[in-house]
Amino acid sequence: MSDMDQVAVFSWHFMPWPYLDENFDRDHESGWITVPNSLFDRKKAVGLYQEYLDELAAADDLGFDGVVLNEHHQNIYGIMPAPNLLAAALTQTTKKCKLVVLGNLLPLNFRPLRVAEEYAMLDCMSNGRVVAGFAPGGGHESYSYSYSMPLARERFWEGVDLIVQAWTKPGPTSFEGKHYSMRYVNPWPQPLQTPHPPIWIPGSNSVETMYEVARRDFCYFLSTRGKLSGAKRSARRFGEVVGEIGKDFHPRQMGLLFSVYVAETDEAAREESGEAVFYFTRNCLKGHQRRKGRRLTMAPGGLSPSSWQLYLENSVVGAKMLGDAEDWKDIDEMGSIFVGSPDTVFDKLWEFVSEADIGNLLIQFHIGNLSKEKTLKSQQLFAEKVLPRLRAESKKLFTRKFGRKTIDAEAVVTA
Amino acid sequence: MTTRIVDVRGKKVELLESGSGEPVLYLHDMWDLHTAQGGMFPFHEQLAAKFKLMAPAHPGCGESDSIKSIADMDDLAFHYLDVLDALNLSSAAIVGVGLGGWLGVEIAVRNPERVSRLALVGAAGLQMPGAQVADIFMYSQHRDGGVMRDLRNLLFGDADGALANSIVPDGRTNIPDEVRRYKSLTLAGRVGWEPPYLHNRKLLGRLHRVACPALLIWGEEDRFVPLANGRAYAQNLPKATLKTLPGCGHSAILEAPEQCMDWIAPFLKTGALG
Repeated sequence: MSDMDQVAVFSWHFMPWPYLDENFDRDHESGWITVPNSLFDRKKAVGLYQEYLDELAAADDLGFDGVVLNEHHQNIYGIMPAPNLLAAALTQTTKKCKLVVLGNLLPLNFRPLRVAEEYAMLDCMSNGRVVAGFAPGGGHESYSYSYSMPLARERFWEGVDLIVQAWTKPGPTSFEGKHYSMRYVNPWPQPLQTPHPPIWIPGSNSVETMYEVARRDFCYFLSTRGKLSGAKRSARRFGEVVGEIGKDFHPRQMGLLFSVYVAETDEAAREESGEAVFYFTRNCLKGHQRRKGRRLTMAPGGLSPSSWQLYLENSVVGAKMLGDAEDWKDIDEMGSIFVGSPDTVFDKLWEFVSEADIGNLLIQFHIGNLSKEKTLKSQQLFAEKVLPRLRAESKKLFTRKFGRKTIDAEAVVTA
Repeated sequence: MTTRIVDVRGKKVELLESGSGEPVLYLHDMWDLHTAQGGMFPFHEQLAAKFKLMAPAHPGCGESDSIKSIADMDDLAFHYLDVLDALNLSSAAIVGVGLGGWLGVEIAVRNPERVSRLALVGAAGLQMPGAQVADIFMYSQHRDGGVMRDLRNLLFGDADGALANSIVPDGRTNIPDEVRRYKSLTLAGRVGWEPPYLHNRKLLGRLHRVACPALLIWGEEDRFVPLANGRAYAQNLPKATLKTLPGCGHSAILEAPEQCMDWIAPFLKTGALG
């Protein structure tokens, strides 16, 4: 069990397709859903998953709190439609770190009971290291799998509750919901962690989601990348929600994603990572966090009409997004990809910890088409020069600001 | 034109009414009154000049309450049987457009005695081989920071014309209309997103149950609900005729309101299929 009084730092891999040529942006409107899979080169795919899994296993050796996988479909951003398969592989190559799957997309194709079973298997295989993420999916997923976004939102929480029941109520029980009806809820195996593995839920600032998360003592992962100001707003709102239902907020209930490349100096970091960073923004974010091309991140009915109105009032149509970055100045202004020396990267991340109370830092080290060699070098330098400082400084800060305590979301391994 | 709130089994339904004479129940589409803008388009004004137009907003659209229990077209059709009761319409002449056209057919196969005429324009509900209903949900998302041409192309014969650009402009229009459209897509998403997409595989085999005459109007360039689906309705409804509009897209009532009225008005009056 990790120390709750300091930040937790994770290595997140998206597993992108790294072999697009320089004409991809010119020739294709999106990296998602309709991007022709004739671009998938079978010969080049040999060994790719192994390379990516090696990079995550290295994070365990370097002492990261955990590694993170997630689920996306029919795209070049992440060729990881079945993250539990990769988590299973990592149970065999990692020893200490948490295995975070963020998350299984509940509305997709099978019943939530299957997700309860797979996470329980992974928890047994990893000796209680699973962090179970559940996600309702966004535009990409609903278009990709032809499921109704407005209905998915309702199904999602029912599915989550079914899974928690499967893990906590001695079976056999039954479940009668509006969307799911299971005569026998009695999964073998059960997860090792009791009452169940920690549960993380991604959200994009909808207050409805924050309430559901806080009520259940889950961890809220802010799925929208963004600047410090946005993260501060979200964390404050989530903290208020936690307070409103009579609980105490702790930074470890909140997570955020960043991309990082560390080298000895700022200049060297830019020089070494430039191609990969812009490969990521131009290609992988096309169809997602990019103005150019077809934007598929949102789907109608994903928000309530009042939340949609709020979004319209607070956003500018056609505004530049992370994927539209043209140079390093743009990258710096977007405030989500940090490239530089250990000091530079520490300073950037520390703002989010100290000012926005973000206690889980989820860091993408493999960016775009970055080589294995560079990914491992950057990740290692981070582990040596940045990670210890983040832990030491946050320990002082959290103890002072939030007191020494554990939160309910962190389950205890008893097996 | 007046709007009022009607109570339908404890849920608020916004009802737009205009004109006098024989009542006509109008079932709206996704870019239509209640959904693209608050008031009527010229087609509805022309309809109201000859009939008593009664146009409820679908659940969650306009000022109508959203209804959580509505999760497919079957639920929506049963909701409208309650609406017919609330409006004291023992038998209604229905004009249904697009999504509303599909709804009209679903009501008529269930309770044929409640429908006296069925005028359908670009009605969803069927999907014939090679005539896939287009992905309106994905194509309602903009390109290049606000370009909506793909959606205009599905909805209008001329995607670049003034009419298409006024109903589906690039960028952001005004927030109330944007929210209307979002609510419209949300309702359509509840009843028509999951496979089968905006159609009902069982409907074709049920069309023989429709007792009333049916007039079908279709834009020959309808790229949202292709014309082959209109031909299938015409062939499988017991008493039906199909009129097509060259050069016209899915939004026939907006693109060719006079021509539509020239067919619809005498049909509603006499039931005769010319």
